[in-house]
Amino acid sequence: MATTTTPTTKGFVGKRVRRTEDPRLITGTATYVDDVTRPGMLYAAVLRSPYASARISSISIEKAASLPGVSAVYTGEDVKAVGPVPCAGSMPTLRVPHHKILAQDRVYYVGHPVAAVVAIDRYVAQDAVDQIEVEYEPTECVADPEKALESDAVRVHPEYDDNVAFTFHAEGGDTDAAFAAADVVVSERVTVPRLAPSPMETRGVVAEYDEGTEELLVYSSTQIPHLLKTQLAVQLSLPENHVRVIAPEVGGGFGSKCNVWAEEALTCFAAMDLKQPIKWIENRRESINVVAHGRGHVDHLEMAASKDGTITALRFKILQDIGGHHQLLTPIIPTLAVIMIPGLYKIKNFTADLTGVFTNLPPTDLYRGAGRPEATYVLERVVDKLADKLEMDPAELRLKNFPAADEFPFETATGLSYDSGDYAKAFNIALENVGYDSFLKKQEKARSKGRLLGLGISTYGEVCAFGPSPALPAGGWESATVRVEATGKVTVMSGASPHGQGGETAYSQLAADALGVPMEDVVVIHGDTGKVHWGVGTFGSRGTAIGGTAVHLALEDIVAKGKKYAAHILNASLDSIQFNQGIFSSNEVEEKLTFQELALEAAVAQKLPPDTEPGLSATRFFEPPNFAFPFGAHICTVEVDGDTGQVEILRYIAVDDIGNVINPMLVDGQLHGGVAQGLGPAFLEEVVFSEDGQLLTGTFMDYAIPKAKDMPWIESERTVTPSPVNPLGAKGVGEAGTIGSLPAFVNAVVDALSHMGVEHIDIPMTPQKVWNLINERSQS
Amino acid sequence: MKIKGQQTLTTPREQVWEALLDPGVLARALPGCQALDPVGENHYKIRMKLALAAVQGLFEGKILLQDVQPPNNYKLHIEGAGKVGFVNGEGHFHLEKLSDVETVVHYEGDVRIGGMIASVGQRLMDMTSKMMIRKFFVSLKEILSEQ
Amino acid sequence: MIAASFDYSAPETLADALRVLSDDPEAKILAGGQSLIPIMKLRLSIPSQVVDLGGIIDLHAIAEEEGIIRIGSMTTHEQVEHSELLSEKCPLLVAAASGIGDVQVRNRGTIGGSVAHADPAADYPAALQALDAKVKVVSSAGEKIIPIDEFIVDALTTALEPDEIITEIHVPTESTGIGTAYETIVQPASGYAIVGVAARIGLSEGNISFARVGITGVGSKAYRALAVEKALEGQPAKDDTYGIASRVAAEGVEALEDLHASSEYRAHLATVFTCRAIAAAAGRAQ
Repeated sequence: MATTTTPTTKGFVGKRVRRTEDPRLITGTATYVDDVTRPGMLYAAVLRSPYASARISSISIEKAASLPGVSAVYTGEDVKAVGPVPCAGSMPTLRVPHHKILAQDRVYYVGHPVAAVVAIDRYVAQDAVDQIEVEYEPTECVADPEKALESDAVRVHPEYDDNVAFTFHAEGGDTDAAFAAADVVVSERVTVPRLAPSPMETRGVVAEYDEGTEELLVYSSTQIPHLLKTQLAVQLSLPENHVRVIAPEVGGGFGSKCNVWAEEALTCFAAMDLKQPIKWIENRRESINVVAHGRGHVDHLEMAASKDGTITALRFKILQDIGGHHQLLTPIIPTLAVIMIPGLYKIKNFTADLTGVFTNLPPTDLYRGAGRPEATYVLERVVDKLADKLEMDPAELRLKNFPAADEFPFETATGLSYDSGDYAKAFNIALENVGYDSFLKKQEKARSKGRLLGLGISTYGEVCAFGPSPALPAGGWESATVRVEATGKVTVMSGASPHGQGGETAYSQLAADALGVPMEDVVVIHGDTGKVHWGVGTFGSRGTAIGGTAVHLALEDIVAKGKKYAAHILNASLDSIQFNQGIFSSNEVEEKLTFQELALEAAVAQKLPPDTEPGLSATRFFEPPNFAFPFGAHICTVEVDGDTGQVEILRYIAVDDIGNVINPMLVDGQLHGGVAQGLGPAFLEEVVFSEDGQLLTGTFMDYAIPKAKDMPWIESERTVTPSPVNPLGAKGVGEAGTIGSLPAFVNAVVDALSHMGVEHIDIPMTPQKVWNLINERSQS
Repeated sequence: MKIKGQQTLTTPREQVWEALLDPGVLARALPGCQALDPVGENHYKIRMKLALAAVQGLFEGKILLQDVQPPNNYKLHIEGAGKVGFVNGEGHFHLEKLSDVETVVHYEGDVRIGGMIASVGQRLMDMTSKMMIRKFFVSLKEILSEQ
Repeated sequence: MIAASFDYSAPETLADALRVLSDDPEAKILAGGQSLIPIMKLRLSIPSQVVDLGGIIDLHAIAEEEGIIRIGSMTTHEQVEHSELLSEKCPLLVAAASGIGDVQVRNRGTIGGSVAHADPAADYPAALQALDAKVKVVSSAGEKIIPIDEFIVDALTTALEPDEIITEIHVPTESTGIGTAYETIVQPASGYAIVGVAARIGLSEGNISFARVGITGVGSKAYRALAVEKALEGQPAKDDTYGIASRVAAEGVEALEDLHASSEYRAHLATVFTCRAIAAAAGRAQ
């Protein structure tokens, strides 16, 4: 299926509808975790290790515990009954060291939680944290994943005989034969530094235990309230139906809140122990330090091709820096790089070897893009190198290797089935928009005057809309309930847990169109396990394609049920009932029934058909048959200042295809934010540690996230290839920009310097790095 | 963080040597030093209050002098920790006799900073260490000129 | 990120503020708070008392008198940036102010606070060096007027005594025939200058008759690039002159090194931005 039509827009779907969430967000009336207060609430603070590797000789809490206002001080010994922080990885070679919620004998990284204080307010709590005396016996540490693999490296977890956390191998076709037969082979090694997800709202938990009902109520800034509920029940040995998790307003996550954190169980444990509500709010330093960093890769990709530019095989090696512990999805994330390594190209043969390695650094885990930016980055770098080697135009080379629009579904060597696409179409639009040929002439002319202009191409594909349940550790479905109130107002309950994306708006648009009601009549409830009974969450660009589809299916059920009621009430045949713009009608009778009238009839239940139950509500689960595969082409043009190494983005062209679009404004927002989070690591962002595992970029004074002024104007356009894997035809947009943008920038800068013999520059391409290269080349 | 430099003093080498190994002199010359108490041969307990503008930090630790080869070379090992983090370092001091009344002190070392100060103070580390070295030599010169 | 407890006072007169300072040697002055508050939240600074000068109205004025512009120490960067008087008569200071941090920082941060903090990468000190600015400080013992290059002693170290308060910064009204420019490259996370260069260039018959160059971010403190100035004066106003003179922009300065710029790169940038600032200033002088 490769049609590229724009869906017909009727009502709200497909229109730039303003976000229903925004009034409360921008007037400061939204309730985030830190806005939650409970009677008698106490505050928790966490003491963290200043050492990357140390034995804890002793912890003395007397001074801290005796401060006025301190209710409790907990150490690892006190909380040892709490179950470990879970890891969902399941590969046969996986080593999962016991991940206690507070360190007991050893610390494995700077920031490792060592003790916790509960006090009357957060000031006293911090005072008390400062009074806890810990005697550490520092031990040798290893803070570099490559060094950690060396045979004489110190072991992060002494119980294992090396630092390998797991290995994973995948292959398709006959790679060795393809390499042997290749006309050309090119390769590149790239490092993808750790990134701090940095959501605007840091993590936070409020936990309250009701002694009467024995219910634990947990507010947490999470993307996965339902999974967290299950995990907390396990960790705290509570019956799951005694745990309720509420994700109130959540100020961004970017994947970092798709996790189960030690501090969540810790706050709950303390609330149960003290029988008082407890709030823990992470500070920004903790967030940058310990909220699982994204990326942390050393990647090596070798590419075989024939003279005519046909790419025949890939050999891919990934080194994933795990950190001192696994978090929920740590070992799974780099496997996404493995399955997407062929990108948009018809490459029949591949082998991939992934090694996860423990280091004395904080854990890594998913962050927007999760494995796919790394794969796209190294792939698009190597494609450019191949073009260089073949002296072929890099655009032509890409076009040559795309599957054609009529080849979908396209089966990849990595075992995926790309759902739909027209890769050449999107790319050609991008080339047209940037004025490809005229730029190349301009570049040539500029070079002769000593100016450094470059153009970088990134054609990317991604796997998202997670996903079929067999492909995920804890369900890939999503649920939705639509309940029509007696007055005709509509309540949508979604198991997805939007946290900034605008899911409430999108779901309201679907409901308003399906039921012919104004959007104001729709309320969307999510993120509360007490109200929404089943759910998986919002991550992996699944909110619309999976969560939205569940809503769509429930709405269809409502309409079907409504028609049945209407037929009976109107005394017409079911087949004759039409439902349009909120009116039930039949060509058999004059009388009509509004949706609101029908809602009331369903509630008072006096005229319902004899074989029906009263009420108008429906619950549906959507289990997708496959992932969805958005794609696109990003092209960036830059000018490099040869005197300073500063890079100016001249133009940024993005042509994305994310399938059908419910709300173009939400999509633009997702793409713009995504591009920013892809460009950040291209020239700014990097979590830096010293050789001793000390965090050197612990605040926003040193950790540079892109600001509005750092961003180019994004000339954005879309092609629309509906996805056949869900009835909405949506693919997913949350991560597309992040995956597509990084290689475009990097390729552009390398292109600008290519005539000096520069073949690669590691990210982030800071002015200093770029200038150093220029300086070296001009001196040699 | 690597540190390297040299300072020329208009003092005979033996006198510089004695000063550099004299706990009384060190206590006065080390910026912010509040106490320097011997606990063994060439081994001292130290308490320092480092103050830079509004930033203040109290550190306690030890100083060890090793490979002492009068009047040429010695190694200084320092460890200090406080609420805001810790500092460990080794420095090698070499005294070069320039003339009977002039001595060059060559120093070279590696300082490792950890904990909070490492994660928030990157921008100021280099200048702080350089400034402390400057202050140390200013004080040392002052003390030597009094002698 | 949670400050330790402290007392807070907000005197309404300078005399009251000075009294608090002399009574409590551990007290710290709060001007715009853009440096003090973050370090207090990290508990790197635990003052007994914070003395907020925001209520002292006298410290907020900008006034011109006999060729000198007196800028009250509590004048925010935003107020400097948008002062009509300064735009007309001291555009260099306006240029420096408009590049400080971000809008939020400029709305709160003050010129007195910046000068008192003496951050080696702050923007103002370069401009103030080039302007031969003076700092007026007051204590219960009286007042002093200190030239900027004597006031800033070292990194984060000034001649300000604990019982003194900066009340005014004095800059000259710019003479006709002098062009000025501030050119900077910023560290993208903090917004501080990696290198910032302020230049004032006077021309006479195609030759450089006057040159002042102040540089921030490179060394432990902002400095006058005297060697550059000397290499410019009397020379023809053309690109070659600027290029040659700029080569000595970091001469004799121990260039700082951090995560974002090595000392070699910093020293190099000093030459690049010095050249750019001089060229821009000379362009405006013509």
